[in-house]
Amino acid sequence: MKFADVADVRDKLEKAGYVTSKEIATVVFLASVTKKPILVEGPAGVGKTELAKAMSRALGLNLLRLQCYEGLDESKALYEWEYAKQLLYTQMVKEKIGDVISGAQTLADAVEKIASHEDAFFSERFIQPRPLLQAISSEDTVVLLIDEVDKSDPEFEAFLLELLSDFQVSIPEIGTKTARNIPFVILTSNNYRDMSDALKRRCIHIYIDYPQRDLEIQIVKLKLPDIDEKLAASIVDAVRSIRSLDLKKRPCISETIDWARSLIALSVDELGADVLVSTLNMVCKYKADSEMVKANVKKILP
Amino acid sequence: MVNAILKFVQCCRTAGYRVSTSEVIDCISQLSLINILEEEEFRSVLRANFAKSRREQAQFDRLYHLYFHELRQDIDLDDTESTIEKMDEILNDLQEQVRGSADHEAILDFLSGDPMDFLEMIRRLQTEEVDVNQGRKFNLGPLASRLLVMVQLNDVRSRVERILEENPFHYAKDTRRILSRRFEAQLDRAYEMLLREPRPHNEGIREVRTHEQYLRQLGDRPFTSLTPKEIEQVREIIDRLVRKLKDIVSRRYAGNNRGVLDVKKTLRAAAKYDGVPMDIRFRKRPPRKGKVVTLCDISSSVWSAARFMLNILYSLQECFTKVNSFVFVSGLAEVTKIFEEEEINHAIEKVLKEVNIDYHAQTDYGETFRQFRNGYMDTLNKKTTLIIIGDARSNYFHPEDRILEEMRDKCKRLIWLNPEPESMWNTGDSEMFAYKAHCHELRECRNLNQLVDFVEELIL
Repeated sequence: MKFADVADVRDKLEKAGYVTSKEIATVVFLASVTKKPILVEGPAGVGKTELAKAMSRALGLNLLRLQCYEGLDESKALYEWEYAKQLLYTQMVKEKIGDVISGAQTLADAVEKIASHEDAFFSERFIQPRPLLQAISSEDTVVLLIDEVDKSDPEFEAFLLELLSDFQVSIPEIGTKTARNIPFVILTSNNYRDMSDALKRRCIHIYIDYPQRDLEIQIVKLKLPDIDEKLAASIVDAVRSIRSLDLKKRPCISETIDWARSLIALSVDELGADVLVSTLNMVCKYKADSEMVKANVKKILP
Repeated sequence: MVNAILKFVQCCRTAGYRVSTSEVIDCISQLSLINILEEEEFRSVLRANFAKSRREQAQFDRLYHLYFHELRQDIDLDDTESTIEKMDEILNDLQEQVRGSADHEAILDFLSGDPMDFLEMIRRLQTEEVDVNQGRKFNLGPLASRLLVMVQLNDVRSRVERILEENPFHYAKDTRRILSRRFEAQLDRAYEMLLREPRPHNEGIREVRTHEQYLRQLGDRPFTSLTPKEIEQVREIIDRLVRKLKDIVSRRYAGNNRGVLDVKKTLRAAAKYDGVPMDIRFRKRPPRKGKVVTLCDISSSVWSAARFMLNILYSLQECFTKVNSFVFVSGLAEVTKIFEEEEINHAIEKVLKEVNIDYHAQTDYGETFRQFRNGYMDTLNKKTTLIIIGDARSNYFHPEDRILEEMRDKCKRLIWLNPEPESMWNTGDSEMFAYKAHCHELRECRNLNQLVDFVEELIL
């Protein structure tokens, strides 16, 4: 399944429960046509990961997710060699080995004979694929989400370069594997550190910021279809003005939605100062932040 | 089309972006896939390919607007061929007049729709280093060079006027008005660009940075000149610092703590591989922690430094096996218990109020050391770092530096932190030089930054 044009992207993503701006849709469309990875940056909680999930839903593709962290290495991201299985197989076919080398006259001969069967010892059978290898060797196209790539070490980033430019990886025991279908790669980053220029060059870059007011209202309404229009608008307005304060952690979209959901649960139909203060825990995750919001209630609720 | 993009790329590069050839190729091939008449799509393609980080985006938008809207303005207005020709004519005339001056030519290029040199010029002005050698920082240098460009802009402006006025027959009245308006508008734009201050582009980043700068600045102030409100803020900084240090310490221990072979665990893991020890397990080496003994002078001259020191040390308690602390003026008292039991800020107050020490007595380092030798020498061992905070002003009592020597021999390291500026050491009743001979390390510790440097070195 493919996207036809930019409008189609917006349509399909919206059906999958993800409202986009035109800019995001354009980038997604281009990435799908040119088969280039997308590097998504932005503050926490604006739906970077969700974009990948929505894409896999919209296109009906499998989603493979690789969560990056400090110390992530190839054996966890690419493949692991299953020594135990290899050992077990070798033990079980021990007698067969005797048969193979039975006709050999000299030691060198015997080694030669075993060597001709080397493939049996080093085959894909003993490889346990991890997300990256799975994505490359998969029969169907998949969506590969490499989440929080900025948390990984620079070495891993360098390793990703090979994968992202040629979609092939080299496994010393077996050889180079090339992708059957080029996966749809999405990298997300929180700007914990800057990615290298080389990585950026291979990707289409997009920065997702907190959405515009109308877009955010639309998102809230999409997630909570039975919310009152006026309440949704006032919630979004309040969150937007909370965001403009100098907070340690700014409320993100998912917090807007959680807040709206809890207000519905409390069957509140108008956002007042007392409601705001009593449900503040949904929006502010630091004590200092809630205090600052309390001090500025007048500004937030005009 | 391709040419227009390439020219724009040139502009981007002059404005300081690193746009690689492969990105340009990508961009152009992507443009053929979308509807380029939709401006939003067009812009997002350029943006996605050329401005690949948040910092660059605001400036990219400005550049984009300049290039694709403002500079192209002359084409989509009700222009006749002849007006454009006339503009070119005037520009050529001007070019003749000012040949040789690079800045002038940049301005003229800007007027004729090629903003590259002018952008380069502005960037040069904005990134110009302020000459620090002058001793004091003035932004006079950049301002002056900006002024120069302004003068040149005005110069071009008046030259255009003159050409128009001097040839009243060549230019019809209407064209003259149009032309002069056009040039005015362009020059105004150049003027405005020149005056625009370079701003940090991410608001989030900006706020944090200014706050951070403020905190740094606070860190450079001597402890003695902090207001009560600032003391609160310093505590906040300390909190944050402590958290950072703990993170670093825990990460370091997590990474590099491979000890000897752990036979038990290796055998257990080998069971998985039919008894072959494929997976070798190592014992974790327990982190090496030291013990700290602090001796704090709490006479008023030193107390402000000592309290922050204690604050940091006790917040970092788990990085040490034990922290023993003593306070003294003319006699010694152990306050370890107070700090262990109370919340740190309470403890500091409590020390001032409850400990049996006469704060108004004269500081006597000699007596302090004698008491320490008699009562607490056993707190020192070869794993101990002894930290003494004091100005070494012993009011002409016997300094007893021999005892300090004994103390040094019993501990691993002896560090003296002096809250006085180095130039004051050994003046008047200061015995700093007598003690200096026995210290492993001697540091000035007047402000938070120095204290922080010290603690970082102590722990890492």
